[in-house]
Amino acid sequence: MVGETLRNLLLIAWLLPLCGFAVEIFGGFWGSRRSRVAAWLAVGCIATGFVCSASALTIWGKSNGWAVLHRADHHESSADGGGPAVADGTVPPAAEAVPGAEASAPTAVAGQHAADEHSHSGADSAKAQTVFSGTLYRLATFGGLELSLDYYIDSLTLVMFTMVTFIATCIHLFAMGYMSEELTEEYVDHHAHLRNGHHVHRPGRFYRFFAFLSLFCFSMLGLVLAGNIFQVFIFWELVGICSFLLIGFYTERKSASTAANKAFIMNRVGDFGFLIGLMVVWTYFGTFKFADTVDADGHVVQAGLFQMLPRGADGNVIMNAENGEVQIGSATAANPANRHATIPYALLVLAGLGVFAGCIGKSAQFPLQTWLPDAMEGPTPVSALVHSATMVAAGVYLTGRFYPMFVQEVLLTIAYIGCITAFVAATIAIVATDIKKVLAYSTISQLGYMMLGLGVFGWGAGLFHLVTHAFFKSLMFLCSGSVIYGCHHEQEMPKMGGLWRKMPITAFTMLVGVMAIAGLAIPGLVGPGFGQLFAFSGFHSKDAVVATALAFVQANPAHFLLFILPLITAGVTAFYMFRLWFYTFAGKPRDHHVYDHCHESPLIMTGPLVVLSLLAAYCAWGGEQGNLYLLITGDQPSYVSHGIPALAAGGLTMPGHDAVVAVHHQAGTYALIAAFSGTFLAWLLYGSGKVDVAEIRRQLSGVHGFLANKWHFDELYDALFMRPTHVVGRFCAGIDRMIFDGILHGAAGATVLVSKWDRAFDEKVVDGLVNLLGNATWSAGNWLKVLQTGRLRQYVMFIVAGVVALFGVLLATFPR
Amino acid sequence: MTGALMLSAAAAPGGSVLFAIFALAACLCAVAVVASQTVVRMAFWLVLSLGSTAALFFLADADFVGAAQLLIYVGGTLVLLVFGVMLTASGPYLKIATSPGETILGAVVALLFLCVVVASVSGVTWPEPVAADAGALQTASGNTLRPLGLAFLGTRPDQDLADGDQLSPGYLLPFEIISIHLLVVLIGAAYLARAKRRAVGT
Amino acid sequence: MSLSAYLLVGAVLFVCGIVCMATKRNGIGVLMGVELVLNGANVNFVAFSKYTQLGLDGQIFSLFVIVLAAAEAAVALAIALNFYNNHLTIDVDRANKLKG
Repeated sequence: MVGETLRNLLLIAWLLPLCGFAVEIFGGFWGSRRSRVAAWLAVGCIATGFVCSASALTIWGKSNGWAVLHRADHHESSADGGGPAVADGTVPPAAEAVPGAEASAPTAVAGQHAADEHSHSGADSAKAQTVFSGTLYRLATFGGLELSLDYYIDSLTLVMFTMVTFIATCIHLFAMGYMSEELTEEYVDHHAHLRNGHHVHRPGRFYRFFAFLSLFCFSMLGLVLAGNIFQVFIFWELVGICSFLLIGFYTERKSASTAANKAFIMNRVGDFGFLIGLMVVWTYFGTFKFADTVDADGHVVQAGLFQMLPRGADGNVIMNAENGEVQIGSATAANPANRHATIPYALLVLAGLGVFAGCIGKSAQFPLQTWLPDAMEGPTPVSALVHSATMVAAGVYLTGRFYPMFVQEVLLTIAYIGCITAFVAATIAIVATDIKKVLAYSTISQLGYMMLGLGVFGWGAGLFHLVTHAFFKSLMFLCSGSVIYGCHHEQEMPKMGGLWRKMPITAFTMLVGVMAIAGLAIPGLVGPGFGQLFAFSGFHSKDAVVATALAFVQANPAHFLLFILPLITAGVTAFYMFRLWFYTFAGKPRDHHVYDHCHESPLIMTGPLVVLSLLAAYCAWGGEQGNLYLLITGDQPSYVSHGIPALAAGGLTMPGHDAVVAVHHQAGTYALIAAFSGTFLAWLLYGSGKVDVAEIRRQLSGVHGFLANKWHFDELYDALFMRPTHVVGRFCAGIDRMIFDGILHGAAGATVLVSKWDRAFDEKVVDGLVNLLGNATWSAGNWLKVLQTGRLRQYVMFIVAGVVALFGVLLATFPR
Repeated sequence: MTGALMLSAAAAPGGSVLFAIFALAACLCAVAVVASQTVVRMAFWLVLSLGSTAALFFLADADFVGAAQLLIYVGGTLVLLVFGVMLTASGPYLKIATSPGETILGAVVALLFLCVVVASVSGVTWPEPVAADAGALQTASGNTLRPLGLAFLGTRPDQDLADGDQLSPGYLLPFEIISIHLLVVLIGAAYLARAKRRAVGT
Repeated sequence: MSLSAYLLVGAVLFVCGIVCMATKRNGIGVLMGVELVLNGANVNFVAFSKYTQLGLDGQIFSLFVIVLAAAEAAVALAIALNFYNNHLTIDVDRANKLKG
């Protein structure tokens, strides 16, 4: 019942933007290009989606009595429902493996769930169901593999839905103001030029923007709702396409279309790994679904992925003693699709790395991070929605969702990649001058943070940072959009300065966002009550990540970099973010032309800014005891909280909740020190005006150049991949031209030759014969004409001669 | 008639001399017709030739035919031809000669033809001549006027009724036809030769 | 006096007439040749009438021939006169309108 309601609400929230897209895409034919109807329709769809998502969250919470929020610090074991294993060691992780029902009637099988829980202290036996899953639509069945559209609703899904729809609503409203220049029959694009040097004049594309935004919302929500990894892939690609369409929105600009191509292709590279992971999953597990398939009686018909990779009491995967491979278990004997009982450990690692490769592409991790800064060619609302809050977060979300399938080696890889990404991007952001590029690199860096958090076993920490980052990054992007709009599409920070006098709301909300991302807080006052007022959301989430990283490093000292680099990065983050703020809003105006014409944005743009700033500041109220964190981690994998000991000697030990709590204070202190030092340095260099920044840049020109060139990644990729591709392309073109075209031309030439010979034959022989006949007849007639002299005497002579001859013959041949 | 009687009475060796004379005359005059250069002379030789032929007819006991020949052929047709010569004369003694080549060719062909005819004639064994006095009407004397007339009227008194093979119905119909034919032809010829305006120019 | 002699004479006359028709350029000369031909045929008829059991029929036929010759001569002459009136010449070689 509850599951059905939840499913229907989320279906509405998911499918409404699609209907909106279908209507809006024809807006150019139905409506005038000056009408905002498309925007209102899009806002309506997504706002309704937000209402549905919020209602779903409320209903879900009420259905289990908000049990998730009543978890005390040390009672996570009961809250997440994963009890200590029973003796046979094959108890499946319960929370996410609660049997999801078919589309018809998901039942609250509290009874069965309780039956799984044997001995856990202090838990009520009749625990309400928190995870709902089922099938929406069966696409196809290939042998034992079923491809279908499923849904998987747990607390994380509901939080993501609410966050995505809310931010999308704010951004839709903002975009109505920002894209108002497109409400015209003739839009002049100053960045696109024709061959004769003139600017491009084209009709406005207001409705198309909102159509694409609606399509994107549909795709993103579909990804979040997905109940099987294949469906995730489908919507993965869909968001990629929407990103392509939106980045290349200004199609006439070469830079925009190139950036769209780059984004899509680099995503594709990641998806190659994704597909390999999918293949391994299919081969060994025989199914794509996350949750079990349950028939009407509640019996498990087909086990889901999470169920099929059971974890032992210590949280490790279970190794089969006979062949040294990982045990693939099943809840019941009914597991027709799977023919394998074990999977080699290496292949499990490969599957995890493969799926994570997709996340690398989508979330712009190292080495596939170069597309995200270029993606800033799209309009700022796109950057806010797609490339900061949602699409790039999809990779992190998938990592979190697919977590039970990742083994320690994969997690370590994730952590390192995240770490490197965070550091590299932060350093590049130090020297970037385009306001949107700074924010783009900041996004990459924070995504690296999230991956790092997930990699060091901070499932909750990484996803917590995901949600808070979505709020303050989208806020900052919208603020930058407001600045760009107010400064008439000026994006270079060296031309700005002192804008807080002209754009106070924007400046203030931007400051809130900057403080959030920097992780500033007043120590000692952090705690319930007044101190929380100065601890913005970013502080709490970054704290969680850093604490987890420290716990991990303490458990595995060899990987100390995983703590040092994030710490340094935190400081760098604070530095460049305050640099951005001081550069743009504080100090003296550097370009009077820009300053004079600058104005505050209209209400429809500043309204969402204010709302988002409130959320960016206080959405994580209470930190790790706050509602947001508890909601997110409501259905986390059960073994996460306990930590995992090393699988073999020399392996990795994953820290549990207790280990993290132990180092929380220490890590928090380090992080605060780093943040404050970064902030102070930024103020020193950019805010106070006492230090000559240009002089520093001149002296450190080598480093500056290296960073300004984005660590030369673009050049590296160009040399490594672009040039060889061009060589291969030229080679293939050569083959095509010489061999294939040669064959074709040869065939054509041969045909022409044959036809020429045929024609000659036809003309000379056949026609010759016919003409010969005609000519012969004519010649004979002509020759015989000679006989017809018209001379009487000759005729008589012939008669006589003829008679003579006749009689002669007669006399000669006939006897007397 | 007496001349004819006289001639027929000399059916003995003297008849053959006369035959030879007249036969030769006819042939030579015919040759002379061919050899003449002017048409007037041709007419003259033709008259002689036809006259000789008439004599031959008399010798062959065909008196009426001979007389008819003289009357009609020589006296009518040839005179007509002479008139024609006069009307179509295009100058005194204008010679329209044939080329020698054609003459020779003609002569050769003629000789060939003659040979053929002679060969065919000589190759035939003619049946016995009918006795002079056989039959109801005796024509050996040349007295053929009455029989001819009766034959033209449809009776054949010269035939023996007892002999069924030789019966012929007479020549009344052909006689009438020929009469009409002659009439028509003459009317037609008169029409064809009516006086017309002379063609302009030469 | 034999049949063959008559036939020979007739043959000679016939041949002469043929030669006349074939060689004479004067139209009247051609007509004279026609007369000779017919005459030769007449001689044949009469000869056969005398020496075979042809009897009277031969002479009757020769009479027919004479009459028809006269008719034909009249018509031929009319044609020749017409030709002369149109072409002002009696040369038969000029009558070559049927030349192919």
